[in-house]
Amino acid sequence: MSTTLPTRTEQDAEKPTGELVLRDVEKSFGVGENRVTAVDHINLTVKPGEFVTLLGPSGCGKTTTLRMIAGFESPTSGSVLLDGEDMLRLTPDRRPMAMVFQSYALFPHMTVFDNVAYGLKLRKVPAKQLKEEVGFALASMGLTALADRAPNQLSGGQQQRVALARAMVVKPKVLLFDEPLSNLDAKLRVQMRLEIRRLQRLLGISSVYVTHDQDEAMSLSDRIVVMRSGRIEQVGTPDEIYRTPESVFVADFIGRANFLDVSEASTSSREGHADITVLGQRMSARAHRDAVAAPESVLLVRPEAIHVRRFAEGDDKVAGNHGRVLNAVFYGESVEYEIETEVGTIVAVVSDPVYEEIVPVGDLVGISFDPERAWLLPAAS
Amino acid sequence: MTISNATVPRARRFSLRSRETPLDLTTRIAVVLVVLILGVLIVLPLVNILSSAVSEQGLAVFNSMFSSVNLQVLQNTVVLGVLVGAIGTVIGFLLAYVQVRLEFRGKKLLHLLALLPIVSPPFAVATAVITLFGRSGIITRDLLGITPTLYGLPGLTIVLSLSFFPAAYMNMLGLMRSLDPSLDEAAASIGANKWRTFVTVTLPMLVPGFASSFLLLFVEAIADLANPLVIGGDFTVLSSRAYIAITGEYNVGAGAAYSLVLLLPGLLVFLIQRYWATRKSVVSVTGKPAGRPAVITSIPARIVLLTLSGLLALLIVTIYATVIVGGFVKILGINNEFDLSHYRYVLSGIGSDAMITTTVLALIATPIAGVLGLVIAWLITRKLRRGRGLIDFLGMLGLAVPGTVLGIGYALTFNKPLGFGNVAILPALAGGGAVLGGAIAIVMVYVIRSSPSGQRSGVAALQQIDVAIDEASASLGASGVTTFRKVTLPLIRPALLSGLIYAFARSMTTLSPIIFITTPQTKIMTSQILSEVDAGRFGNAFAYCTILIVIVMSVIGLLNLFVRDSSVPKAAGLSSATIN
Amino acid sequence: MKRIHAAAGATAMSLALLMSGCAVTSTDSGDNGSTGSDELGGSITIACGAMEDWCQAMTTAFTAETGVQANFVRLSSGETVARLDAARDNPEFDVWHGGPVDGFGAARDAGLLEAYDSPNAAAIPDKYKDADHYWTGVYVGALGFCSNTKVLDELGVDVPDSWEDLLDPKLKGQISTAHPSTSGTAFTTLWTQVTRLGGEEEGLEYMKKMHNNVLQYSKSGTAPGQIAGRGEVAVGLVFSHDCVKYQEEGLTDLTVSFPKEGTGYEIGGVALVKGSKNKTAAQAYIDWTLTAEAQNIGPTVGSYQVLTNPDAAVDDRMVKLEDVEFVDYDFVAAAAAKPGLTARFDAEIAAQPKE
Repeated sequence: MSTTLPTRTEQDAEKPTGELVLRDVEKSFGVGENRVTAVDHINLTVKPGEFVTLLGPSGCGKTTTLRMIAGFESPTSGSVLLDGEDMLRLTPDRRPMAMVFQSYALFPHMTVFDNVAYGLKLRKVPAKQLKEEVGFALASMGLTALADRAPNQLSGGQQQRVALARAMVVKPKVLLFDEPLSNLDAKLRVQMRLEIRRLQRLLGISSVYVTHDQDEAMSLSDRIVVMRSGRIEQVGTPDEIYRTPESVFVADFIGRANFLDVSEASTSSREGHADITVLGQRMSARAHRDAVAAPESVLLVRPEAIHVRRFAEGDDKVAGNHGRVLNAVFYGESVEYEIETEVGTIVAVVSDPVYEEIVPVGDLVGISFDPERAWLLPAAS
Repeated sequence: MTISNATVPRARRFSLRSRETPLDLTTRIAVVLVVLILGVLIVLPLVNILSSAVSEQGLAVFNSMFSSVNLQVLQNTVVLGVLVGAIGTVIGFLLAYVQVRLEFRGKKLLHLLALLPIVSPPFAVATAVITLFGRSGIITRDLLGITPTLYGLPGLTIVLSLSFFPAAYMNMLGLMRSLDPSLDEAAASIGANKWRTFVTVTLPMLVPGFASSFLLLFVEAIADLANPLVIGGDFTVLSSRAYIAITGEYNVGAGAAYSLVLLLPGLLVFLIQRYWATRKSVVSVTGKPAGRPAVITSIPARIVLLTLSGLLALLIVTIYATVIVGGFVKILGINNEFDLSHYRYVLSGIGSDAMITTTVLALIATPIAGVLGLVIAWLITRKLRRGRGLIDFLGMLGLAVPGTVLGIGYALTFNKPLGFGNVAILPALAGGGAVLGGAIAIVMVYVIRSSPSGQRSGVAALQQIDVAIDEASASLGASGVTTFRKVTLPLIRPALLSGLIYAFARSMTTLSPIIFITTPQTKIMTSQILSEVDAGRFGNAFAYCTILIVIVMSVIGLLNLFVRDSSVPKAAGLSSATIN
Repeated sequence: MKRIHAAAGATAMSLALLMSGCAVTSTDSGDNGSTGSDELGGSITIACGAMEDWCQAMTTAFTAETGVQANFVRLSSGETVARLDAARDNPEFDVWHGGPVDGFGAARDAGLLEAYDSPNAAAIPDKYKDADHYWTGVYVGALGFCSNTKVLDELGVDVPDSWEDLLDPKLKGQISTAHPSTSGTAFTTLWTQVTRLGGEEEGLEYMKKMHNNVLQYSKSGTAPGQIAGRGEVAVGLVFSHDCVKYQEEGLTDLTVSFPKEGTGYEIGGVALVKGSKNKTAAQAYIDWTLTAEAQNIGPTVGSYQVLTNPDAAVDDRMVKLEDVEFVDYDFVAAAAAKPGLTARFDAEIAAQPKE
């Protein structure tokens, strides 16, 4: 049996472990004209104990990247380092990582207990200790009662928990997740991601998580890596991604967005701001550093930042700051307006509405927002 | 041939909703027809054989079953079955593994080679093996200078393993293709290297496949009649014993009794395999298998695997090359002069009669078997509740019953007109005095032997189709039959095709059931080949075999063209797992 | 759309089924029961016990000469009796032609044959005829050893010239003979032992000893010659004319020899099947087979049996009966003993493991 699997003493060392570095990693297929690049020179560092999510639409390269970290794919160029050690010369079974799969991949011919014990058996953990550790892992997942069941007797959520337990019990330096919750129903998904996050925090294992679901990304991650067409669009905390997206793509991908046309953009005296004219008004809004220099820019205003008020008689009809209600959808905790203005359709969300005060379709409304909650971006090219 | 996991409809992902509404008229008619057909085609002959076996002569055999001679025969039979089952399964697994887990040039060719024995009559291999590896075999004596004795258990084992392994191959291939590749990755991700993964994850999941292949090959081996006659030496097995009893001693009761002893293990194995294998279907439990299995790249592993499969492929090629060449030379191995007299013999007179008759009868039986199998499959997956298990079982009997048993049963049942008292319901259908020269009985045998395969493929394919599709069609106004025609049928076309191909190949190459019911007017190719081989006229036999192989392959090619409609997109899930 | 194809296909198939009946049955033995007429017509089916090409030549010649369609099925002696018995109520054959008359005797005893004294039978010597006219002999063959000289050389064994030679341990697994139940040739061998050794027990005893040297029992009586010719075994037990035929076909290592203790012989017979559907034509066929002209067809297809009609040609390749030592073969007794003896053989010898 190889000795490159991490022994238990290494795990207990004081030095924080689990720093994963991807340097200039590329994955391409084919040659010449037919060359397809799935992952295009990405650079990423996952700090020890950090939870990083690779987020993006299908085909953006996130799964390929994950599989290259795991060792199931080899990069065309670039390097993958774990705590300074080159991972590329190790086959997947020798990398101190463990992966949780979308299809759970439980061994159908083994019981839950045996599934979880599998990795420990490989490492020749003595029987008594094995039983303890497996028991503990099962307990922490609430699976103790199911220990003797076969996988096909479990629900989806239970199976995923077994998969999780199986990966965690071998105390890997890095945990890899390949869209593990996609096959579960909505409510279960929410439950499970809380579980995953709780456990990860408890164990402090660096984790790389792949998903296309932004809610998952937002709720789980320390940092999110937004990817598109093999490239990293932005790396940042959920807050950074949400409030200060690097591009229209990122802004649009996370949450909902209104992009308002802007004119007369100029540098402002205030740092990180720009002076613009929008909706017929001049204001100073927060701005991306490249926004003013860009040939065109747009203003990102999230729907929840838009104030909507009934247009009363005699209100000042300043060009742009009003519109007509196209649609008003009542969701219970909020009402969503679709408003037609001279600069396009704007979506506004009002929380905790008073039902009687909902503006009916066809009525005129006034629109306004706080410039501090807006964000000026270079327009998509 | 292959008895896969999906024979009994079970509540799976697409659950079979209970039918509380009474069956409509068309369906009821279908059920009655099916029962009638199955009754005449399989139940009646079986009943007759049973009653003959418990006649005076038959009972005498049973009583002497534990005499030393008969016990030896019994033992021989079991030993042969076990050996062939094991070796054939190993060969089939090796080739399937190489197909799925290795990348190399010539993969497709290897696949075709592995299927070659399906389209050839069973003793093509035996005859070639004798010519190549016999006392004065081309390879053994001329090349290697050794003179092994092939007649008897060694030769039988080799020949039967080589003839029947394709069933194991297809079985294992389908199974391996449906394995979830992420299982291997999961094991690797927590530290198992390729070998450990293979031993602790892959192999255990293939156990049902190994078991069903073994059992299948066991039954085929003990039921085979042709090869023991040709290369059996003095290694008597139950099937050849039964044959001698009937054609030599004219003791039908004894022959029936011997055949009955054959029937029991066959049926038992069939039942075990059905209920045990379906219960433990562990191929993939959840989600969709994503991606393809990892390819083996380790050089030593590649060398070992490729060498072994290469040797096997070489063996198969040599054997069939012998068959082809042997038809064109005077006496292969002794006098290698180019000679067309064998082909002249085969293509004229009796030879061409046999060719045409066999092909025509097989062509007639094929669509009937295909339709019958499909209708039964449709009834048991979609329509029936209570009778489901029984009809399924009866439908599969044609294959579970050893060929010899079937043949004797048919001879007993249909040699005379059938009727109650003095009223004849059916005229004699088999044997010398039969209507149409006994052709009808032969077609019946062909049908009942090959419809089980269509039934099985049909069941597997239908189970993959969500019942909701049927219901959607109904809610839009289509009747049961219309839905079947326009919605179901196109989706199960691959299953239908494979059922037809199998039916034709099987009918053309089968010997044991029809050997007892050929008549002067109805000459069947396989029976003719056996005479040639037995008389030692290998050249003629080779020529016959070659022509038979050519006919089967041509018809399969035609069937592929006719039934396949490229405008129907390949439905998800209806992959080659259903084709066998 | 596909359904139309399928329906058309089904109709075509049904038509084909009906037509196949016609194609398959080049003759329909059901519709020529002309019992009283003198006209020769229709067709007859022959159960033929000699080699396939001999049967083919005979039936073709008869058809050419008389216009009666003659079909044949090549069957070993035991198979013929079995088939005749199975179809007793509805005979599929009209004539049994060729094959040792031991089997004919068994068939007669079972009531499957009809006596017919052909006018042409007068020419045939009495010793080759059944006293009660149930069968008439058409050829004679001597049972002998058909040995492969090359293999014998390799084994260091001389060409056998006695039955005892066959028991030589050096010949273990080197003898090929057929199964007495299915093959007349092999039964002749068996009965020869009974006759020369003085009883059934003694005969079976010899066969038991020889069993240890036998490779396997073939179904057809002539196969042992081929097997020896190809070098699979050293000695095949066949009628000498079959051995000569194989020599001619190219198996040049073969040589014929006879046991000095005396050997058996066969009379190839022809007989009328009881209940034949075309008796007139059947009888005409039998008449024809007894003519020198018909018998001379034998050598033309490489069959070198000695012919019973004194006017038939004598070929160099035929054995000279006067040069061979024969045992006093009692065909009647042989026929009577056949069922019991072969059953005993099956039970006591055939399936036994070799020592």
